[in-house]
Amino acid sequence: MSPGSVPPRRSGGLAARVNPYWLMIAPAVLVMGALYLLPVLNVLAISVTEPEPGLGNYAMLVDNAPMHRVILATLRVAAITTALALLLGYFVAYGLATASPRMRGLLMIGVVLPLWVSVLIRSFSWIAILRRQGVLNTWLVDGGLVERPLDLLYNELAVCIGMVHFMLPYAILPLYASMRGIDGRLIAAAYGLGASRLRAFLTVFLPLSAPGIVGAGVLVFIFSLGFFVTPAILGGGRIQMIAEYMSWLILDRLLWGPATMLATVLVLAILVLLAALSRVVDLRKLFGAA
Amino acid sequence: MTDHQTHAQDCAEILREQHAAGRLDRRTFLAGLGALGLAPALAGRAKAQTSELVISNWGGDAVRYFGEAFGGAVKAETGLDLVVDGGGPSMGKIRTMVEANNTIWDLCDSGAGDSIELGALGMLEPIDYSIVPKSGLIEEFAYDYGCPNYTFGVVLAYDKEFYGDTPPTKMADFWDTENFKGRRMLRRRGLAMLEMALIADGVPFDQMYPLDVDRALAKIKPLAKDALFWNNGTESQQLMREGECQMGLMWHTRANLLNKETDGRITWTFNEGVLFPGIWVVPKNNPAGAEAAMKAIAAMQDPEAQIALLGLMGNGPSNPAAAPLIPEALKHVDPGLAADRMLKNDGAWWGANVTAVEEAYSTMIAS
Repeated sequence: MSPGSVPPRRSGGLAARVNPYWLMIAPAVLVMGALYLLPVLNVLAISVTEPEPGLGNYAMLVDNAPMHRVILATLRVAAITTALALLLGYFVAYGLATASPRMRGLLMIGVVLPLWVSVLIRSFSWIAILRRQGVLNTWLVDGGLVERPLDLLYNELAVCIGMVHFMLPYAILPLYASMRGIDGRLIAAAYGLGASRLRAFLTVFLPLSAPGIVGAGVLVFIFSLGFFVTPAILGGGRIQMIAEYMSWLILDRLLWGPATMLATVLVLAILVLLAALSRVVDLRKLFGAA
Repeated sequence: MTDHQTHAQDCAEILREQHAAGRLDRRTFLAGLGALGLAPALAGRAKAQTSELVISNWGGDAVRYFGEAFGGAVKAETGLDLVVDGGGPSMGKIRTMVEANNTIWDLCDSGAGDSIELGALGMLEPIDYSIVPKSGLIEEFAYDYGCPNYTFGVVLAYDKEFYGDTPPTKMADFWDTENFKGRRMLRRRGLAMLEMALIADGVPFDQMYPLDVDRALAKIKPLAKDALFWNNGTESQQLMREGECQMGLMWHTRANLLNKETDGRITWTFNEGVLFPGIWVVPKNNPAGAEAAMKAIAAMQDPEAQIALLGLMGNGPSNPAAAPLIPEALKHVDPGLAADRMLKNDGAWWGANVTAVEEAYSTMIAS
């Protein structure tokens, strides 16, 4: 809202001081409060009341080995995914930022298009590509590059491939946004001062794009923490991440206390990450507000 | 399907696929659903009226088929119209509706372990065996809070072409990677896998329970490194069909389908497999009342309908009276007829230990 749209402030009661435009978002706030915030608070409440009141469920974080395994697997896969998505995404974003307008349009379509393909379909497509009799192995064997098919599917490698593929647009777009904000004259100045292309990139462009790297990294990491479908399909039962574990606890095991504890911890972790991120980059800019 | 799937969920899927592929005529489809107690999905939730009896199972296509096929028997027995809700009666859902004092299902297609856990929490009505005669059931599978409605097995399936003249015949062969090459397939859940490991390790059936969990996990661990693990029935079928695995521990109903679709390339043995019941449970305060639910359970023990189901998907009759009526061509499919070669699963032990055991099993697979 631009400052110009604020009506002149009058002295008087509280009602008079409240900007009437806020009333326009009241329905949305009420809906969110009733359908989102209250259930989330309920989840928080269950995590400290079931099976008995207290912090027993949270103590499991310290002394429950299966939980450690799931959390570590989640963090590991999310970290690998984030690193790879940033690395690959950086090249694409750089290409986007430096391409001609027409080329940029085409590239952008290529980046955004996969967002409309369901994560299920993408995961099953990776099965077709990676399995022993799949496209990739057939090429490798027929081409004489390997003697027998490689085990590319049903392991952590496959999960990371599937997740990086899903996450790339979320890495590319914030990176691109931050690169677009870099003043090209600074690079030109570096050249003018005798820097090589590499040196100009390393000492000028890369540091200037750092907020984009941090923003994209945190965004991808947060999304990766909650992955459910991809690890379940491509992991061959070997990679159990936190979302799948919670679903098992709730639906199959009736252990709502530990499950809601994990959900609460996950939400808190994400809020902490976002808070940290907000100190580095402008969140509104990262999420698309101009 | 990425979620872990129960056998009953898988049955619904098989019927749906066959019907869609035109391999089942409508009447047989109906009979099959009827015998399973399987529910075509209702759009939205069925809120039971007093004139209805609502069955919950794991989904399907055509609610009216079920009513036509099986409604008659239930109507005759209870005076109620049969309504089927494919909402999927997971323990979580049953608990939620009972605790909210809003039970909308009269009967749920569940499992032995679930019936014991939910029963202990006070979520279920006890089965009234004066209405459902135990003489028409496999006695070991008649639980306080759960009544059998069919049988199925977890069995050793294998690729006949791959093993040629020396096919695996017993559980020890599955663990013998020296003499039996090929990638192995196990279930993502430890249920039945632990038993099979102990059978391979030489534990006799009558000394099986309580399970020696550590010993079983130690036995599975060396296999797990190179094995694949399935979450749901479709996945198990796919892994065997496409040659990702040459030997697998899977539901016999899926092995039977594989056998048909591969013209016998994939086959299975009931030897040293594990026999399970499909279990009806009645949620507390069910709308039609406990007595009507019991009568409906009794009505669905009809041998004819149970045999029709055997022909469709291989689910064995829970009523021993069906055994002499089974046609020759179907005998090799019924796990019940192979029961003396199989271990009967102890649902009570699993009900009491499932969480700790499954977590240990998951950890073993992942590490």
